[in-house]
Amino acid sequence: MMRTAARAIAWEFRARHRWGLIALAGYFLVLATIKLLILRGERVHFDGVGDFALVVIVPITATFLYALVVFTFGFDGHVAARQSMYPARKFTLPVTTAALAGWPMLYGTAAMMILWLATRLLAAWPVDVEGPIEVPVVWPALLAAALVAWAQAFMWMPYPLPGLRVAATVLWLVTFDTIVLLALEFKAPEPVMLAILAPQVPLAYLAARFAVARARRGDVPDWGGAFAGLGRLADRLRQRRGHFASPERAQAWLEWQRHGRTLPGWIAILLPFELALLWAAGSSTTLVFVILVGVLITPPFMAAFTAATVAKANPSVSDAYGLSPFVATRPLTSAALIAAKLKATLWSTAAAWVLVLVAIPLALRWSGTWPIVAEKARQVSEEIGTPRATVFVLLVLAWCIASTLKQLVQGLFIGLTGRERLIKGSVLVAVAVFCGVGPLAQWIHDDANVRVAIWNALPWGAAVLCCAKVSAAAWVAARLHRGRLLSDRALVAGAAWWLVAVLALYAVFAWLVSGPLVPHYFLVLLAILAIPLARVSAAPLALAWNRHR
Amino acid sequence: MSESVIHVSELTRRFGATTALASVSLSLPRGAVYGLVGANGAGKTTLIKHILGLLRAESGSVRVFGLDPVADPVAVLSRIGYLSEENDLTGWMRVDELIRYSRAFYPAWDDAYAEELRQTFALDPTARIKELSKGQKARAGLLIALAHRPELLLLDEPSSGLDPIVRRDILGAVIRTIADEGRTVLFSSHLLDEVEEVADHVTMIHQGVIVLSAPLADIKRSHGSLNAAFLALVGAAPPTS
Repeated sequence: MMRTAARAIAWEFRARHRWGLIALAGYFLVLATIKLLILRGERVHFDGVGDFALVVIVPITATFLYALVVFTFGFDGHVAARQSMYPARKFTLPVTTAALAGWPMLYGTAAMMILWLATRLLAAWPVDVEGPIEVPVVWPALLAAALVAWAQAFMWMPYPLPGLRVAATVLWLVTFDTIVLLALEFKAPEPVMLAILAPQVPLAYLAARFAVARARRGDVPDWGGAFAGLGRLADRLRQRRGHFASPERAQAWLEWQRHGRTLPGWIAILLPFELALLWAAGSSTTLVFVILVGVLITPPFMAAFTAATVAKANPSVSDAYGLSPFVATRPLTSAALIAAKLKATLWSTAAAWVLVLVAIPLALRWSGTWPIVAEKARQVSEEIGTPRATVFVLLVLAWCIASTLKQLVQGLFIGLTGRERLIKGSVLVAVAVFCGVGPLAQWIHDDANVRVAIWNALPWGAAVLCCAKVSAAAWVAARLHRGRLLSDRALVAGAAWWLVAVLALYAVFAWLVSGPLVPHYFLVLLAILAIPLARVSAAPLALAWNRHR
Repeated sequence: MSESVIHVSELTRRFGATTALASVSLSLPRGAVYGLVGANGAGKTTLIKHILGLLRAESGSVRVFGLDPVADPVAVLSRIGYLSEENDLTGWMRVDELIRYSRAFYPAWDDAYAEELRQTFALDPTARIKELSKGQKARAGLLIALAHRPELLLLDEPSSGLDPIVRRDILGAVIRTIADEGRTVLFSSHLLDEVEEVADHVTMIHQGVIVLSAPLADIKRSHGSLNAAFLALVGAAPPTS
């Protein structure tokens, strides 16, 4: 029997996330077994920062992100909405606002501190990582707790504009991280770190209590009136619109209105922050190019999340991730519903990249970093020739754009299944992969033996992946044919277009990388892997599975 | 009465350990008003979702206009008007956008009738769906279900969204008009009085099993009233709200 609100809230966290907690307990059990039974208290010698990061930092980061989402109620709300992400169903509970905000914050803080202390105690810490290190005890725990507490305050606050939550949270967390990183850079002792971090949790609690109080009394500010002029213009444009020429066009319009604007919206929010870093880069060529690479990978990275999150059809219906009856009962085939989604993803990709391609030259010009990029371009042109350099840049750009589309489209087949666990699981996997990419790249960069091993294994790996991809595509095609989801003509035409695209890409690769080091069969394998096939063709299958359960 | 508009044969559906429908067989001829009654959780919505093709028959078969709604959704859905129990209309749309979007799917869409319904339901064309009250949302849903003059109108618990005035004065009249024009209406409800007012034929479902399917006049003759029949066959007092 749960007699207090505190116990009930704790029980909800425990019951809802039991599988995550079990996985976490399993992770610590493995750590404890390695440390106590295998290493017997001895420290480990890691070959480099990459190894250490892969074994210790990546699992901690992934766990931290999971806990962050759990304790901010990130699974319940819409991060870009104006409304608070605190679950509205709790507002009618007979408990004070202080308790509503305080207990989840206390549990979040406690979980973060336990997470750090357990890791500190059980993880295999290195003998040296670029010199002997002493792993601090208290301040990292406080840092994690403060980050979660502030994230809770920002997530639970109602905002006057959609998307403002994301901008405000990113801005605050980056500022906060910068302060901590500066303190570390100047080798601040633990008492100083504690002095910086200790007040953060109570301050965040006050902000969170204020946020929950506002949300509880339905006080959601709205600056929409400031854009009334735009609204009137939109209304006038709207009045001029005639009827849709076909059901397919109507459905494509719906998809664009519902999901198509999400990715360009995210990019419009993130771009100014990323490009603002160019002003801080000064004359450092490396920093300028790191920032530009970051900007270029933002659309494909955000596309991976967008594709999964837009799967949430309607939060007000019982099965929020399933296809809503309103859409499912449109008299259209599942293939036509998919075609509308694909059109929306094409427009979405185009809109996002127009923003990026307009913003980059402007930011380079205004920040005064344009000469750095121009000089580098001149050097590359001199080394490999202007045509090759131009094609290389265009190919990189095309890869980024195609990758954005690919992420949106390939994510569809997960989102369209309408299965909540599958969708949320894919988002977590994407986050974990993203956390692992940096350390993995560092590890490969640092270790020549690893690079040689990877180089030797590349053709085999590519061949295995190609076999898996083509087999999966054949299975999907058979299912599509059997379920009459696509006509024979559409299947054959799709296969033919895919083949043409593969051959065209292979031709570009062969012209660009002509040399004895890279065999042509490897280029064919790369082209096969680069052009989407299995997951795209699985989208109608996933939608039919969702639509006719 | 001619051929069956809906023909369900030995339909069984399970969700985990729960049997939502157990060997349900049902045949609905054209041109009448059918009331599907039962307590909450009896299986009414599950049956309607099978008719719409939103659920695939695990065993047994479902035919609407002689077609399988899962295999041929376009041919079936283009002839059906459906009002969902859940208010799942897209919230960001304005009422006139909803009408413009919906009319694209139905060649038989009647603009004059749609406008007449909009005025009858007092719906502001510039209002966003998410800003409408629950009753207004249900009216908007009813408008797009009716405006293409469907051969089969499926109303899933319309009372849960519509306010008493619309229910009493409008819904009944609309349903009668549709039936008089030779089209078919199937509406589910747990409110027996409401069903008694408009239905020609009543199918009673309890724990996934059809316990009674007969013309309303026959039920009244044999049991006195629908409430009495419910009490006798289900063994519980009928729900009142």
